[in-house]
Amino acid sequence: MWVACIGILSATNALAQDKIVLKGKELFGDIQARHLGPALMSGRITDLEVHPTNNKIIYTGTAGGGVWKSNDGGASFNPIFDEHIQSIGCVTIDPSKPDQNIWVGTGETWTRNSVSMGDGIYKSTDGGQNWKNMGLPKSDRISSIVVDPKNSDIVWVGVLGALWGDSDERGIYKTTDGGNTWNKVLFVDNKTGCSDLIIDPKNSAIMYASFWEFRRTGWSFSSGGTKSALYKSVDGGKTWNKIHTGFPAGQLGRIAIAVAPSNSNILYSVLETEKPELNGLYRSDDAGANWKHLNNDFGLVVRPFYFSRITVDPKNPEIVVKGGLSGSISRDGGKTFKNLGNMHSDIHDIVFDINDSNRMYCGTDGGVYRSWDGANTMEMVSNIPVSQFYHVSIDDKEPFNVYGGLQDNGSWYGPSKSPGGIESRDWTRIGQGDGFRVIKHPTKNIIYSEMQGAENVWRYNTDTQELITIQPLAVKGDPKLRFNWNAPMEISKKQADRFYMGSQFVHKSEDMGRTWTKISPDLTTNDASKYNTEKSGGLSVDNSGAEKHCTIFTIAESPLNEKVIWAGTDDGNVQVTKDGGKTWTNVVANIAGLPKNTWCYHIEASTFGEGTAYAVFEGHAKNDYTPYTYKTTDFGKTWKSIITSDVDGFVRNIQEDFTNENLLFLGTEKGLYITIDGGANWSHFTNKMPSVAVHYMELSTKTNSLVMATHGRGVIILDDITPLRQISQDVLAKDVHFFDLKPAVIEEQSSFGTTATELEFVGNNPSSSAQIIYYLKKRHTLGKMDLEIQDEQGNKIVSLPAGKQKGINVVAWDYNMKNPKIASGKTVSFAGFTSPRVQEGNYKVVMTKGKDTYTHTFKVLNDPKSSISAADRGKQKETTRELFNKNEELAYAVYEIDETVKLLDQLIAKNKGFAKNGTKIKTDFENVKAKMVVTTGDAYVASAEPQLREKLGELYASIASNFTAPSPSQLENKESIMQRFDSEMKDFKTVKTKNEATYLKQAKEQNIPFVLKTFAEFISE
Amino acid sequence: MKTFKISALVLFLCTSSASLFAQTADEIISKYITTIGGAEKLKALKSVKMEMVTNAQGMEIPVEIFQEKGGKMAVKLNFQGKEITQMASDGETMWSTNFMTMKAEKMDAETTANAKLSSEDFPEPFLDYKSKGYSAEFMGKETKEGTECYKIKFTKKPIMVNGVKSDDVSYYFFETENNLPIAAETEIKQGPAKGQKSTSTMSDYQEVDGIFFPFSMNQGGQEMKVKKITLNPTLDSKIYAFPAQ
Repeated sequence: MWVACIGILSATNALAQDKIVLKGKELFGDIQARHLGPALMSGRITDLEVHPTNNKIIYTGTAGGGVWKSNDGGASFNPIFDEHIQSIGCVTIDPSKPDQNIWVGTGETWTRNSVSMGDGIYKSTDGGQNWKNMGLPKSDRISSIVVDPKNSDIVWVGVLGALWGDSDERGIYKTTDGGNTWNKVLFVDNKTGCSDLIIDPKNSAIMYASFWEFRRTGWSFSSGGTKSALYKSVDGGKTWNKIHTGFPAGQLGRIAIAVAPSNSNILYSVLETEKPELNGLYRSDDAGANWKHLNNDFGLVVRPFYFSRITVDPKNPEIVVKGGLSGSISRDGGKTFKNLGNMHSDIHDIVFDINDSNRMYCGTDGGVYRSWDGANTMEMVSNIPVSQFYHVSIDDKEPFNVYGGLQDNGSWYGPSKSPGGIESRDWTRIGQGDGFRVIKHPTKNIIYSEMQGAENVWRYNTDTQELITIQPLAVKGDPKLRFNWNAPMEISKKQADRFYMGSQFVHKSEDMGRTWTKISPDLTTNDASKYNTEKSGGLSVDNSGAEKHCTIFTIAESPLNEKVIWAGTDDGNVQVTKDGGKTWTNVVANIAGLPKNTWCYHIEASTFGEGTAYAVFEGHAKNDYTPYTYKTTDFGKTWKSIITSDVDGFVRNIQEDFTNENLLFLGTEKGLYITIDGGANWSHFTNKMPSVAVHYMELSTKTNSLVMATHGRGVIILDDITPLRQISQDVLAKDVHFFDLKPAVIEEQSSFGTTATELEFVGNNPSSSAQIIYYLKKRHTLGKMDLEIQDEQGNKIVSLPAGKQKGINVVAWDYNMKNPKIASGKTVSFAGFTSPRVQEGNYKVVMTKGKDTYTHTFKVLNDPKSSISAADRGKQKETTRELFNKNEELAYAVYEIDETVKLLDQLIAKNKGFAKNGTKIKTDFENVKAKMVVTTGDAYVASAEPQLREKLGELYASIASNFTAPSPSQLENKESIMQRFDSEMKDFKTVKTKNEATYLKQAKEQNIPFVLKTFAEFISE
Repeated sequence: MKTFKISALVLFLCTSSASLFAQTADEIISKYITTIGGAEKLKALKSVKMEMVTNAQGMEIPVEIFQEKGGKMAVKLNFQGKEITQMASDGETMWSTNFMTMKAEKMDAETTANAKLSSEDFPEPFLDYKSKGYSAEFMGKETKEGTECYKIKFTKKPIMVNGVKSDDVSYYFFETENNLPIAAETEIKQGPAKGQKSTSTMSDYQEVDGIFFPFSMNQGGQEMKVKKITLNPTLDSKIYAFPAQ
């Protein structure tokens, strides 16, 4: 048997000679993403779902931030869908198993230009803890899921389908086996999908379905057609008939439908028609047989593609609410409406509490709002950081700030670190409207920001608060400038005041945006058929500027040569100049395999060569979700694809490491991918990193932090990518490998917390502990493993819990030494939790794993921003140690007293003749102890008068927590405490000396053993 | 001696994994029970005393855990020279010590009632789990702790959370290489993180008188490290009882 096993082991070793490729969770181990939020503006909510019987439970689906669950009636929410695509169409609770079965249809159905996509339907059978993809992979966006109230295995799904192209995977699907297999039960055509599917709450054989003909391209949107219709089935979805009696003839757009839960004959529908006066609310009082037009107020007809949700009060069929710019509520059955209370605009969904209709929840472009008074007064949920950043940049301050703009939520900047965590009040607004790119001037306290289509580009001086607008304007002879909705802006690494913007031209300013020069011709395909957006929208014109096309989308100046500039366009050109813009060459045709006119989303000019650059393309607006990423080293003459089948989701961004050319980060629609071998293999990074769309990334040259703009989960940071930089085949082949990190810094920082309540999101700070990072080839499961910190001489300082997983482990050490042994008293002494801190210097980490020992040396530094002198640090160390020792001496004295008192109790009990004398000795000891430690009271307001332990402990803790020398006042205090210390110890010794012989003799006579631990034994136990 | 026993375990795992591809929850669980010593040895256990040290950022606190059949348990901390019963139950009354007053206080009724639902867990919840009213489901393979694991969904009797009945589900991850659980996930039911997962990891499996125990458990960076395990120690049942006041 042994031989067989050895055989297996050596076979494994032989295989290990090949290249070791670790993917995802095998490699990244403890390296975790850190979420900055913010949640103060939250982000777009697409769907709300309340539990049918427990009003504490609410689910919400979001546009780009996954699914969140509240267990406290909407006071707070937590994310429960991080491992899957984050764009959500709908969430549905199985009415017969509401605590177990939850269904999620992915792919948002509010089809704005920036909408993401889905990848099918998911099911949880444990209330949202674990999810399984149940198919419909090409459904793109799912509008509705209906579970048979009597049978959990029967489910109907409304699939809206592809937005950007034809697709057969749309219509209504049904499963009868809990989602293992699906049948299409209603299909209209490959342009028309199911935008709403509902069931009669009183009769599950009756269903209503609205179908919508719609299409988006990179430059247009169309809502409506002859195929849009409202259907009804009375036989459980087998056959469907149009119910249009009372509807206008002709084309229809998006149709909303709702049935009143308390009277299922009453239906409400909102129509988009050919005639604006016939748009709006229709009502049927006979279950859809006849319809009557009631209302075409602005609130009812506005932007049907974006707002198409009707909700009826569960108790009163005359109270009806419609999503919209502000949201509308009617209390007279739809005849008249008023706006909902003040909240973020763009209301996509509204739900009522199951018991109290005054309690309502609304999903907006800026988070979930709750109301207790029928949606008159709205309060925002403050812990849903689903902010949709389009871009992020950082500055070189310490800690660095992050800057970025969001969908419908302006532009902001905030710190990457703040006392107690990064909370809402740490963020500063720096732009209106939709926000996109925000960049800080490299040296001056000036920030550039913009709104949609560069309608405004702002230059803001944070010192003087001077705010000016600086967008490039058309000059004589210019055609109309075409700026993308998300218009590119860029600064130069070489010239601090230089500022680039892109329309169809590259604009350059050398004076921070006051004066502009065009340095290129029209670099786009300039296809006039793609930039007439006045008629865009279909039945309802929707010319917001969001469809502006044939524009430059990305500009990159080489960090090595300012004359080399790249520009990528949304219609698929890659242009490069080597002479600062005099001549441009379109090099996109040199990229083999890239479909024509594929959007160039980002160009990264390399730090490793003037002619080296990365270009990423995404074709989602042409219904092409293929990832495209290419590298050139010769100014675009030749390109090499660096994508592998590891990558899922189209690519929006790439970030190059600046020391290891083979380390690259890829931002895709489904999250972050990392390669350590130049793109030969990619790994999905999932540690606290949701599968969220990553729109932009920046790498800090100072802290090696990767900063990501996610379109749905705010700003997310990987704090230190150094270990990834150092991974090689040699490292991967070792059993244990410690990574070399920059020296750890003992930061001097405020210990004050935030002002946030438990219901507010607070972004985590980076760790301020020393990081010990190592790689394990194999997970440690059998036998012992220990980790300790030693000084340079090999003296143990402290043991730390070791990380044991395969891959990268991170162990944090907060520079603390062993905490003092504290005298035993009635209460707990908080000084016992205070450890002395180590000094600047070299330390060793020693790992013992079975019989093997692995050692690594690392450096600890003082905070460079500190003004404390070495001499003062020395005094702090010395006094801390002195007080530490006194605490332990006192602890030992109290231990001696306690043990002696225990002995005396035994002696008194055993020998009546000794009782009187014994009791007196005991009292003498107890009186001494009573001055040494508190022996009565509690640790709160019934506390006893503090005794020596309390005074000594308090002074020790305050000096040990400081960095600087003890103050004269503290030293005077110390002197007085020491006086008392000496006096109590003297009293103790007097009592002991006087009586020791007596009780030891008694103990011997009574045959009661009495052995005290030595001081060394006592403190080391 | 210990080294030899670990080798023996490795050997056992080695031979058994070659012949068996565990695919059902029952196969994985019964193999696990065999691996750690077998049902017979486990059933013979009356009580266990574990001497441990908790380590949070190098601050070490000695902890003793006593467990007996019938839901009897006590967690004692040795803290600043004082023995503090952090939590205990005699199978009926669950109690803890208030750190302000150092007085024993009873736990809320719901916590006690929930704990009683697990009173048959000693010495091993997976042992004869069906007769305890528990169920287990194999969920497939998943990478945990960087290594391939079998994922088992383990459902105990429903508990009450703030008056509402709630499923008691944990997910256990058995390392495929040795069939030992190395991680467990449960849903946090209360507090600000409710709805999210709490993960604990287990490692340093070592043998004590024929039964294997994980000598290290880690939850959120705080480690419980076992120094010594005593099987069937002689215990005074007073340690479990709510003290007379």
